[in-house]
Amino acid sequence: MASADKLINTYVPEKDVFALHFLQSLSNLRTQNPLNSPDKSIDRVRKIKKAAYVSMARAAGGTSRLWSRALLRRAAKDDNKSVRFSRRKRKVTWKISSKRKRSNQRAPVVEEAAERLRNLVPGGGGMETSKLMEETAHYIKCLSMQVKVMQCLVDGLSPK
Amino acid sequence: MNGAIGGDLLLNCTDMSVLERQRAHLKYFNPSFDSPLAGFFADSSMINGGEMDGFLATAGLNLPMIYGETTVEVDPRMSIPLETTLGTGNFKKRKFDTVTKDCNEKKKMMNREEVTEGEEEEKSKITELNNGSPKSIKKMKIKAKKEENNCSNDSSKVTKELEKTDYIHVRARRGQATDSHSIAERVRREKISERMKFLQDLVPGCDKITGKAGMLDEIINYVQSLQRQIEFLSMKLAVVNPRPDFDMDDIFAKEVVSTPMTVVPSPEMVHSGYSHEMVNSGYSNEMVNSGYVHFNPMQQVETSSDPLSCFNNGQAPSMWDSHVQNLYGSLGV
Repeated sequence: MASADKLINTYVPEKDVFALHFLQSLSNLRTQNPLNSPDKSIDRVRKIKKAAYVSMARAAGGTSRLWSRALLRRAAKDDNKSVRFSRRKRKVTWKISSKRKRSNQRAPVVEEAAERLRNLVPGGGGMETSKLMEETAHYIKCLSMQVKVMQCLVDGLSPK
Repeated sequence: MNGAIGGDLLLNCTDMSVLERQRAHLKYFNPSFDSPLAGFFADSSMINGGEMDGFLATAGLNLPMIYGETTVEVDPRMSIPLETTLGTGNFKKRKFDTVTKDCNEKKKMMNREEVTEGEEEEKSKITELNNGSPKSIKKMKIKAKKEENNCSNDSSKVTKELEKTDYIHVRARRGQATDSHSIAERVRREKISERMKFLQDLVPGCDKITGKAGMLDEIINYVQSLQRQIEFLSMKLAVVNPRPDFDMDDIFAKEVVSTPMTVVPSPEMVHSGYSHEMVNSGYSNEMVNSGYVHFNPMQQVETSSDPLSCFNNGQAPSMWDSHVQNLYGSLGV
């Protein structure tokens, strides 16, 4: 919907940006374990997967989107690093608590599905349903972009 | 709102609330609201029942005339406080409705009529208004709405305001609950359904499904499938990666120096200008080194011995030079 696009900002950068970030992260992985004995495959998979998510989060907007911010923070916590957050434009609102107290008429169907969505989308726990859906839309776009990039990579690298 | 309105001025005039209402309407319909008087008069016809038509229609000239006007039914002194409060107008309604404008014109033709509303009601409305809470504005407007005639009933269909300020002012529809909670609830629901529509376009195969529950399930499935795909692909990548026991520097040198002899020429590769001496191991670093950060649709992979041409999208390599330099630097260890 063209009109909705103006209201909801779901700009996603081109494939190249994702690719670059991903390759950078992979090369970092490489330099981390230069000539050691190869890791167990599970670890390697896990590392690559994490690199994929982190690079996707960075490519998609770094700390300017809620889900990417949550993703990066989660990843940094695992590595005991810290993420530097740019200053957010809006202060954190307390909408959630006040709104939920006031009205009990949230459509239960929607809310239950929203709960499931919250578990899937990083950072979804603290969002109102409408905001959650915005983030989901952007997240879906970025995920599909990342999938395309990785597919390209795999196809490129797999032996003929 | 300033409480500048003198109590005594307000008390006796039953038109006050209507005027206040009109002011709200005025703000509502005339975004560029500079002169209190101009809009004041334009809006005179907004209220039905013609309560205020008389007052404002005649006073549509200028203020002094109102003062001097003795035949006006309303206390002329009313205009002063209104003017002051008009100036402060913290009403934030901005919506512009051409239908109601026509109605305004029509109503200006109508005769004056007596003000009918009770005084008590007025007072409460006035105080509410003076507090300037958005809810009271809504209520007030809702009451006004119910009194309007057909012409302005069309405007009642419109419910949502453009969100230009912190508040979203919503007009209740006819026959619907005017409770502020339910209005907020309805706004929220509309937001959600709007976003649902957006998501519907995004998720493939969602056009057939109607209903929020099914849609949401579909969306959740899609997100899950995408995440699974990423995991699967990362597993594949881990497998494809070579044993880390080849000499990086060697490969590095080879790639930079050698010319694309072994490569099937394709337009994209010519652009890239780097060699494609692709060791079978095909580690990601090589891709980085050789600057194959151009991405291409998949179809072109088979045509060349360079497995990485799939990344090539025909862009000029110069764009990537700085990145590539950095990566070279990092790998120069």
